Amino acid sequence: MERTVEVVPEAGLHARPASSLVQTVNAFDATVEIGRATDGDELVSANSMLAVTGLNVTQGESVRLVAEGPDAAAALDAVAAILTSAVEDEGEAS
Amino acid sequence: MRTLAGVGSTPLAGVGVARWHRPADELALPPRPAPADVDVERERSRFEAARTEVREALETARSRTADRVGEDEAAVFEAHQQFLDDPGIVDDIQDAIDDGTPAPHAVSARFEAAIDQFEAMDGRMAERADDLRDVRDRLLAALLGVEAVDLASLPVDTVLLAERLTPSDTAVLDPDTVAGIVTATGGRTAHAAIIARALSIPAVVGVGDELDAIEAGTEVLVDGETGEVVVDPSAERRAAAGGVDATVRDAPVETADGKPIEVAANVGSVTELDPAAARGADGIGLFRTEFLYLDRETAPDEDELYAAFTAALAAFPDDRVVVRTLDVGGDKPISYLDLPTEPNPFLGRRGVRLSVDEHADLFETQLRALLRAAASAHGEGLAVMLPMVARLEEVTAVLDRIDAVADALETAGVEYAIPSLGAMIETPAAVFLADQLAERLDFLSIGTNDLTQYVMAADRENDGVAALHDPLHPAVLRAIDNTVTAAHAGDAWVGMCGEMAGDPALTSLLVGLGLDELSMSAVTIPAVKARIMETDTGEAAALAADALTCSTREDVRALLELE
Repeated sequence: MERTVEVVPEAGLHARPASSLVQTVNAFDATVEIGRATDGDELVSANSMLAVTGLNVTQGESVRLVAEGPDAAAALDAVAAILTSAVEDEGEAS
Repeated sequence: MRTLAGVGSTPLAGVGVARWHRPADELALPPRPAPADVDVERERSRFEAARTEVREALETARSRTADRVGEDEAAVFEAHQQFLDDPGIVDDIQDAIDDGTPAPHAVSARFEAAIDQFEAMDGRMAERADDLRDVRDRLLAALLGVEAVDLASLPVDTVLLAERLTPSDTAVLDPDTVAGIVTATGGRTAHAAIIARALSIPAVVGVGDELDAIEAGTEVLVDGETGEVVVDPSAERRAAAGGVDATVRDAPVETADGKPIEVAANVGSVTELDPAAARGADGIGLFRTEFLYLDRETAPDEDELYAAFTAALAAFPDDRVVVRTLDVGGDKPISYLDLPTEPNPFLGRRGVRLSVDEHADLFETQLRALLRAAASAHGEGLAVMLPMVARLEEVTAVLDRIDAVADALETAGVEYAIPSLGAMIETPAAVFLADQLAERLDFLSIGTNDLTQYVMAADRENDGVAALHDPLHPAVLRAIDNTVTAAHAGDAWVGMCGEMAGDPALTSLLVGLGLDELSMSAVTIPAVKARIMETDTGEAAALAADALTCSTREDVRALLELE
C-alpha cells in the first residue's frame, strides 16, 4: 500500500515534523518506509529519525510512503496528515 | 583591540569577560580494552542505564525550554529523543557491544559515523549534526560519569566562547548573566542559534579557528548586528555598539516630574537574585515558585521553601519581594504532582484552582514557609501573589487557609507574620472583578502574557494566531486600564509582571496608564529606568488616553511610533 504526498511543514522533514512522523510510525504495527518521490525505489525506514532526517527533504518536495501490515492504511493516513499540515495541531480543536 | 569576523546570529551587542566552554576535553574516551576483556552483559546494561538517564534529562530540557523559551524551540529535544531511540543507531551500538566494544566506544563510533554522514551533506544538514553531537555528548557524559559543566549559573557578564554549542547547552543559558556567545563553527539557522535569539543573547557564530586565540579572562565585545567579535574593545567601539553601556541605577527612580515608579525583577530561582540586584532592581516583583518544583523527584519541603524565600528577602533587605504561589497546570509536567492530562490545559486545572483544592497540601506547605519568612529578619517586605484568580471564592478560600496556618503556627509556638496578599490579573474574569479584588487585597499585578492570551482568545504557542497575541490590541489596553482604575479606587497598588513591562518602547504608555510598579527580566531594568526618568506623567497620561481610544493595534502602534 503506498501514497505520495507533498511535504507542507516549513521545517521539511526535520525537527518536529520528523520526530512526529517517527513517533507516529512507532505507534502502528505496520512497517512504513519513506523516500523522495523522484528517487524511484530509494526508501528508508520511517521508524528511524536518523534515516528520515538523513533524507534531507525540504518543504514543498513530494515523498513516497509505502506501508505494509494489518494497519497499513491507518498508518498511511496518520503519516500523511502530519506531512500535509502546516502547523502541528498541539491540542484538541475547540 | 583586535577584531574577528563571523556571522551575526542574534542582532544584539554585548560586552563581557571571555569564558571558554570545552566539553570535548572532559568527554575523552578511556583506553580501549581488548574485546575478550569486555564484560558484554555489563556494557549492555550500562548503555541501557545511560539511555534511560539521557531520556529523562531530555524530557527535563524539553519542558524547561518550553517554559523559558517557547514550544517551538523545545521541539528540538523531541528530535533528540528520537535520535536516542533510533533503531538504526541503537541496534548498531548493541551489535558493537556484543562484539566486545565497551559502551562509550561503541556510542562514540556510531554517532561519529552519523555525524560524518550529515556533515557530508549541504549546509543546513551539517547544522543538524549538532543535534547528534548533543545526544552523543549526553550519552558519553552519562556513561563516563562526567558532571555537565554548569552553564546555567555562569558569572554575570560572561561572554561564552566555544568550538560549538549544542541546543541543550544554549537552552540553559541565563540571558541576565550571559552577555554574549561566540562559536567557532555553526550557522545562524542551527537550533542553538535559534534558541540564543529567542533568549535575546547577543551571538556571533562561525568565527573559525582564530577564536582559539582569545584567552579566558579577556574583555570581548560581541556585535551580533555586524558579526564582529572585538577583543579588548575601545571605549568608542563599546559606545558604538549601542545600549551596551546602559547605566545601572541602584536607587529607585521617578519620572521627570517626580512620580516614583518601582522597577522590580522577575526571577525563577535564588541564583537569579544577585544578577537582578546587580542590574538595579528595586525588589522582586515576581518570584516564580514553580521552578523550585521542577527537575526533582519530590516536592520541596517547608524548610527548603523558607530558605529560598528568606534568601530573596536577604538579597533585597529594604525592598518588596513578591512570591507567586505555585502556578502549574497540565502543560507543565511535574512527575510527582500527578497533574491531569487535559485537552486544554490553559483553560483547565491550574494555578490557584489547584492550590485551594487538590493541591491544598502543597499550598499549605507554601503558606507555612511564607508566614514564617514574613517574620524573619527582612520579612516585612514579603508579599504573596495568587496566580490565575477568576473568582472571589478563591481569594476567600486563601484568606481562610492563611488564618488556619497562622493558628497552627501559633499553637506550635512558631514565629510568624501575615504577609501582604495580592492577585495576578490574568483572566478576563479578574479584570471585571478588579474592584472587588482590590477591596480585599493589598495589590494586583497584571500578567500580560496570559491576560493577552485570554482576552484575545489566542493561544500563546499557536503561530497561527500570533498577530492576535499582542498586548497592544485596544481590548488588552482597556483591560489594563480597567484594572489600574479599579485597584486605585480600592487603595491597592497595581503592578505589571508580563513581558510588556520590560519593553522600554512601552514605558511611557504604562506610566500613563497609571501602573505603580513594573517587573521584568533583570536585563531590561537599566533601559526601563532610563525611560521612566525621561517621562513626564502628564504627557504619558495623554498618550495613554489616546491609546485607549484607538480602534486597532495598528493605530496603537502608529501612535507609539513603533515600526
